[in-house]
Amino acid sequence: MSSDLFKYTEEREAASAAKVRALEALLIQKGVIGSDSVDTVLEHFELTAGPFNGARVVARAWVDPAFKERLVADTPKAIAELALPQGMAGAEGEHMAAVANGPGVHNLIICTLCSCYPWPVLGLPPYWYKDPVFRARGVREPRAVLREFGVPVAEDTEVKVWDSSAQIRWFVVPERPAHTDGFTEEQLAALVTPESMMGVALVPPPVAAAA
Amino acid sequence: MKLQHALGGLENLGPVNVETRVFVQEWEKRIFGIHTVMMAESAHLADALPKYPMATLPTAFKENWTWASLRTGAEGMQPFEYFKFRYYEKWLMGISQFFVDQGYISADELAQMSAYYRVQPDAPLPDRPNGPIKQQVVDYLLRGDSGLRPVPDAPRFSAGQTVMVGDPPAADHTRLPGYLRNKTGTISEVYPGAYNYFVSTGPDGIGEPMPVYRVAFEATHIWGADLCEPHTTIYADLYEVYLQSPNA
Repeated sequence: MSSDLFKYTEEREAASAAKVRALEALLIQKGVIGSDSVDTVLEHFELTAGPFNGARVVARAWVDPAFKERLVADTPKAIAELALPQGMAGAEGEHMAAVANGPGVHNLIICTLCSCYPWPVLGLPPYWYKDPVFRARGVREPRAVLREFGVPVAEDTEVKVWDSSAQIRWFVVPERPAHTDGFTEEQLAALVTPESMMGVALVPPPVAAAA
Repeated sequence: MKLQHALGGLENLGPVNVETRVFVQEWEKRIFGIHTVMMAESAHLADALPKYPMATLPTAFKENWTWASLRTGAEGMQPFEYFKFRYYEKWLMGISQFFVDQGYISADELAQMSAYYRVQPDAPLPDRPNGPIKQQVVDYLLRGDSGLRPVPDAPRFSAGQTVMVGDPPAADHTRLPGYLRNKTGTISEVYPGAYNYFVSTGPDGIGEPMPVYRVAFEATHIWGADLCEPHTTIYADLYEVYLQSPNA
């Protein structure tokens, strides 16, 4: 059912596009916002806040077990150790917390009431995270949901589901893939996806190395 | 309670959508941007943590606009209508209506301007950059708006304690997921300090600073052992007013 949401008629999308442009134009005319205000927001999510930061946090956790311990114990403090852009405790990241996958433990992040998401380290939530079907089923049958994402979780693995219902914005430290011995942090960070940092994907071994 | 408050646990919905894009249409970026500028211009930031110089910001916008505003709108929709619209369509409807309701724009001028851009989608926007607003947007995004406040009173509950989740009237807006109401869990962490919320939710009970707890729920205690998967724990962050002693 939800896939229909992405197949609306061109007419419907064009009407929304015209309405949002009209709204922005009127707000500029009335002095509510400037003509550079919206672009400033969008630039922030291209350059400053995004999954490229979370990937660096995860890569450091993979190469430095002591950092990983500090990250899980006090996430903002550990993140502040890294040379990431300013603003890692900014909007929607004022109170972040990391949980780590490991043998026998798989974490899944959800927001059943809306779409709370750790902006500074992950940017903006993808559509799957905002989907009412995911929000409904993720807390009841997480393994079934994860299978649909292509992530098999063994019956005896403990699944922890984190419902972002107050101040904390959660993210996952996925497990380091095989065949990455000797990888630099930069190479490791390139393997980390937003989905893996929300728990709906594993980080696969690099293709060339696994082949 | 409304359907939007109780999505968790609904059955017979079919497969999840695995779309990984954040925006599926270019126009969606613009309404996300407008919302975020409004949050950065919200009057309540004058008294936020940190405090922002809202009195001197050269904007005509004088309202409070927070996540609570957007969520209250989405939760106020007729539930079956809620599911007919894509995420950012709901934002566009709610935000446009807000500006009309508050008198910043009229429904007629929005309709006329929409018709203009419908015929000329590439017509430019007015060219009026605003440096101070740009700076405020950047400051807000980098510094945020924390609900953490000094806590005058000791938390009622401690780690390891069993608690029962209350069932207050949800009113217009709540941060208590419906599937946890009347369920029993265990406090797994007492967060230091106290947290306010952007608005008072009235009989629902949040707004003023209060302790927040991380509460662990065994999935079997929520859904029943035969109706859920084994070895599953659900964690939720819950404001103190939502929790009761199980013997109360």
